[in-house]
Amino acid sequence: MADEAQLRALFLQGLAGDQAAHRAFLTEAAGLLRAFFRNRLRGRAEDAEDLVQEALVALHTRRDSYDPSYPLTAWMYAIARYRLIDFLRRAKHRAHAPLDGVDVGEVDPHYDASDAKRDVNTLLDKLPEKQRTAIRLVKLEEKSVREAADLTGLSESDIKISIHRGLKALMRLMGQEQTT
Amino acid sequence: MKTDHLIDMLARGVEPAERPRWKRRMVMTLLVGLVVAVLLVAIGLGVRPDIGAARMPIMMKAMFSALCAAVILPLVVQLMRPGRPLGWRIGAVALFGVVCVIAAVVALMGEMPESRWEAWMGGSFPWCVVLIPVLAAPTAALLLWLMRAFAPTRLALTGAAIGALSGGVGAMAYAMYCPTDSMAFVVTWYALGIALSAAIGAVVGAKLLRW
Repeated sequence: MADEAQLRALFLQGLAGDQAAHRAFLTEAAGLLRAFFRNRLRGRAEDAEDLVQEALVALHTRRDSYDPSYPLTAWMYAIARYRLIDFLRRAKHRAHAPLDGVDVGEVDPHYDASDAKRDVNTLLDKLPEKQRTAIRLVKLEEKSVREAADLTGLSESDIKISIHRGLKALMRLMGQEQTT
Repeated sequence: MKTDHLIDMLARGVEPAERPRWKRRMVMTLLVGLVVAVLLVAIGLGVRPDIGAARMPIMMKAMFSALCAAVILPLVVQLMRPGRPLGWRIGAVALFGVVCVIAAVVALMGEMPESRWEAWMGGSFPWCVVLIPVLAAPTAALLLWLMRAFAPTRLALTGAAIGALSGGVGAMAYAMYCPTDSMAFVVTWYALGIALSAAIGAVVGAKLLRW
C-alpha cells in the first residue's frame, strides 16, 4: 500500500489535472479507507463499503480543501472520520427494525466485497436534469467537456460547474439514503 | 455501483483544480458583516449622542472588540480545511480569555469599593450581552456561507469559532452605541457577549455546517 509521499505525489498530480494520477490516488485511497471503515464497523462490510464510496466522492469534490503544507493522510482521515461520525449519527436517528421472523434468505457465498449496499446509479437519477446530463455525458459516456457542451447547447464552464455541483449533491444524497 | 466503477467515474475527464481564493472572500465577508452591523446600530439603536466627545472611549472599545476578533481569526481559518492541527491558535484564545479575567479584576480593584458594583454592571442590566450576538448574526450568516464552500470536519468547534469571530465584529459596531465606558464593564460583558455568540454558533454550526 502506498505511503504518504507516494499518495501525496499522486494527489498533487491529480490536482494539476493528471487523470491517471488522480485515478491511482483514488484507488489507493479506497484501499486505505476500506481498512479504516472496516476496522471501525466490524462485521458490517456493506456499510463500510457505502462509506468508502461516500468518502471517495467527498475526497474528490473537496480536493481543493487540501492544504499542501500539511500531510495528505491527515486531510484524508479527517474527512473519513467526519463521514463516519456523520454516518453513525444518522444511524442513531433511525429506528432499528427487528429482524426476528424475517426471512433473510441464503447467505451469498460469492458476495463481492466492493459492492456497496446502495446503488450510486439510482442516486444519480435523483439529481436535477442539467447536472445529471452533464455527469452522464462526461463521467459515464466518456465524452469530452467540449462534446458535452456541443450536445447540450450549454457552455463548457456550465458543464464543468454542473458536474461539480452534481457530484457534491450526489454525496449529500448518499448521506440521506436510508441504509442499515 | 461497484467502488471501482465509482473511481472510474470520478477520475474521468478530471480538470486542474481551482485554487480557492479564501483570503479575499474572508476579508470581504468580515467587511460586509461589519458594515451591516454598523448600519443596524445606526438605524436600530442610534449612535450615542455624545459621540463627538466620547471618541476616545469608543475607539478603545472598538479596538478591544477588534482584538477579540483578531485573536479568534486564525482558529477560524485553520478550521476551514480538514486535517490541520489547531496548536497555538486554540491556546491564544484561551490565553486571551485569562487576560480578560485578570484585566477585569485589576480594573475593579482600582475602583472605590462603593462604586465597584456600579462600574462592573454599568448601572443597569448589561444589554451588550444580548445585543452583541444580535449584531453578530449578519457576519455569522456570511461566515457560515463561506465555510460551507470549504470542508470543516469539526462542526461544533467551527461553529463556535465563527460565532466568536462574528461576536467580535458585532461588538465593534456595538461600541458606537454603548453608553458605558468603564474598563471592567467592557472587558467582562463584551467578552461574555462574544462567548454567548460562540455558544449559539456551536449549536447552529453543528446543524448548518454539515456537508
